[in-house]
Amino acid sequence: MPDTSALATAAPAARSSPRLSRAAPFVVAGLAAVALWIAPLALDTFAVNVLTRSMIYAMLAVTVDLLWGFAGVLTFGQAAFFGVGAYAAAMALTYLGADPVWMVAALGLAVLAPAVLGLAVGWLSFYHRSTALYASVISLVVPIVVVQLIYSGGEWTGSSSGLVGFDVLPLELEGFFRLAALALVALTLAAWIFVRSDAGRALVAVRDNDARCAYLGLSPKRIQIALTTALAGVAGLAGFLFANASSVVAPENAGFLFGTELVIWVALGGRGTLLGPILGTIAIDYLAANLSGDLPFLWQLLLGATFVAVIILLPGGLADLARRAWGATPFSGRAAFAPALAALPARPAPDASGAPLLKIEGLAKSYGALTVLENIDLEIRAGELVSLVGPNGAGKTTLMRCLSDGTEDFRGQVSIGGASTAGLTPNRIVALGVGRKFQVASVFESLSVADCLLLARASNDGLSPFGRAETLALPQAALDVMRMTGLDQMLALPTRLLSHGQKQALELAMVVALEPRLILLDEPTAGLTKAERSTIGAVLKTLTGELGIAAVLVEHDLDFVRQISSRIVVLHQGRLVLDGGVDEVVGSELVRTIYSGGSHG
Amino acid sequence: MLLILDVLTTAGILFVVSIGLLAVFGVLKIINFAHGAWLTIGAYCAVIAAELGLNPWAALPLAFVIGAALGGLAELFIIRPLYRRPLDAILATWGLGIVIGQLITLGFGRDVQMTPNLFSGTVEILGVDYSAYRLVALGAALVIGVVFAAAMEGTRLGLSARAVIMNETLARGLGIDTVRVRLVTFMAGAGLAALAGVLLTPLTSVDPNMGVGWLIGAFMLVMVADASLVALAVACLVFGAAQVLISTFVSPILGSIAIAVLAALVLRVSPKGFSRA
Repeated sequence: MPDTSALATAAPAARSSPRLSRAAPFVVAGLAAVALWIAPLALDTFAVNVLTRSMIYAMLAVTVDLLWGFAGVLTFGQAAFFGVGAYAAAMALTYLGADPVWMVAALGLAVLAPAVLGLAVGWLSFYHRSTALYASVISLVVPIVVVQLIYSGGEWTGSSSGLVGFDVLPLELEGFFRLAALALVALTLAAWIFVRSDAGRALVAVRDNDARCAYLGLSPKRIQIALTTALAGVAGLAGFLFANASSVVAPENAGFLFGTELVIWVALGGRGTLLGPILGTIAIDYLAANLSGDLPFLWQLLLGATFVAVIILLPGGLADLARRAWGATPFSGRAAFAPALAALPARPAPDASGAPLLKIEGLAKSYGALTVLENIDLEIRAGELVSLVGPNGAGKTTLMRCLSDGTEDFRGQVSIGGASTAGLTPNRIVALGVGRKFQVASVFESLSVADCLLLARASNDGLSPFGRAETLALPQAALDVMRMTGLDQMLALPTRLLSHGQKQALELAMVVALEPRLILLDEPTAGLTKAERSTIGAVLKTLTGELGIAAVLVEHDLDFVRQISSRIVVLHQGRLVLDGGVDEVVGSELVRTIYSGGSHG
Repeated sequence: MLLILDVLTTAGILFVVSIGLLAVFGVLKIINFAHGAWLTIGAYCAVIAAELGLNPWAALPLAFVIGAALGGLAELFIIRPLYRRPLDAILATWGLGIVIGQLITLGFGRDVQMTPNLFSGTVEILGVDYSAYRLVALGAALVIGVVFAAAMEGTRLGLSARAVIMNETLARGLGIDTVRVRLVTFMAGAGLAALAGVLLTPLTSVDPNMGVGWLIGAFMLVMVADASLVALAVACLVFGAAQVLISTFVSPILGSIAIAVLAALVLRVSPKGFSRA
């Protein structure tokens, strides 16, 4: 283990004043609301008017920031949801009137219509193995389609001239300013609490490593679709406010160009910081209103050039500059949060005598004319530790992938505890009780050690959207991995600072924390020191011997395999050529020829 | 007959507009959202050529050279630092497009510019009078496509580019100067975009924001084609046909979004688009 004791001491300091830090956002939000309530008294009519609009746009910036800055989904589509909300409100108010009842109906429609559209867009954008780029492509198409639908709506939507002069909420200019301010403050507070909660970690986790999320039993697409739907509703709410405050809606409110403007504001303010995008949006929109009259083209030119420069040189936006300046002050030494660890009660060991836990029948896989796996039959029972050995290219990792992802294109049957995995995505196979550790350690680089473990427990214990859990309960075996590798002293440390061996151990702890019935390990000891290797060996023996978990281990080191396995299976050129006890297989002629590289028959 | 000609010429125009974007996406794996701005640059090269009293056709080489030169600068200062951040590159090139659009506005004003016709009149084909220029554009698309394919297959640079498309790390390991391949490809892509801009001048009005309207269509076509020239040609034909047919028989408004919607659906079903076929 490298010496990390200096970093490890950061954890306990975090719980010094939980009550104060929990109340702080509410106090700040309250002060902001009061300040904005009295602001119209000091501002002229022009400023009140413009800032009302700016604050509504800032609500959209919050939604773009949550999607892009936190969840990693670059979206141009929030403009479409905003436009749909604004049009839904304007059309309801135009054709139904502004009685209180119809006003409530307009509000409901303005939130619901975009949310339903958001659900459809989310379903289209996010699916198993979808790419981030595809979601961005869809987010470009949506506003274009919405605008064309508005154009083709004829009298209903006012076509290219939009809708004007409908009845609105009975408020003065100042009243709309205050309404927008309260809505913005409330949204910001809710978003602030959410992104700092346990559930907020899941957003970052999806952005960092959606494959790992799926292999922890979380559905990345469900998280992304839910977020898209909810934030489409929020954008619709902003549209409702906009329609009321301006009493005019036009097709460009829903357009792709407005969608790109939102992204520009968020980028300049600083993605992933919430406050940066809000302040950025208000400042830029207010400046634009003041400058674009006098220097229309120059202003756009300056904004465009600044945007390019910020994207290249300062990806964190202006908020990043502020954070660096703050980091240089003496007040900045706030320690990172980490929960206290606790042990979960042990589950009773499963019955080892019954039906096989994992059953593979006639599994075969080929890429075009290249056959990688052929006619694999294998049964594994609870409590067995089966090592899968074979030379490079024998198909070991491919087999692991077929076992853990039912959407892989393979022939034959795989069943876990009697349930077929055909067509199941990785997260649903995890729900059957399978944990998979990858060859290259797969953790969440921008989260802390404790957060990684928290997410590993999320499919069992859920995540709070309101705050941080004070304790993190893990199975004893996961705690043992942590303790033996010293990770329990580094809970607050970001995982990107961990050594290679520590990352491997953390991933193993995460997989063990899932409490799987079957654990798939792809070279868990590759690149580890001898001490680390024997630690992992001991953990595996406990898991299988005492807890009755079945394990499949891909491994090259025959000595290691001999020490810990209960059975060894040899894979050679895509076929299963040997399956037997440790001594029988290690002593066989075939294994010696394969490993000495002599025969390739 | 008229429909068939419309489909073919529309596909040809889409192909001309998209091919520069395809080259950049294939080799650099980056989506150049300033592509629309280069179309505009090309169109304004035609305006400049007319002001200088040159033959209208002289605008084509002029646009290619100017577009490629400006593309080189853009690659050097904007694309290169963002090579590892492809989503950010979309944004930076979009910002660059804004800057270029505003610079053109400052230089030429925001009004629609008039350009001399490259080729006017109609020709009669199988009993139908048809715009001669649209046929010329179709011919230009074929010529550009064939020259491009020949360059990819027959030159050393094309070989390097294909190697980079397939496996950049391996290409670099084999001693291919991938940085130079990227630069030259981006310059070629930008030059082709400017060339397309000139070819567009008789078909659309020339103003500082003319490129944006073409950008989304080209972008969707390239997504579906996934770096394959043949797939791009197929995509242009299929979606061009869809656009023409829907515009003619259903509604021009639906026709205008046909490419974007159909391409998005194709990508949902088959993420590699047409390139696998």
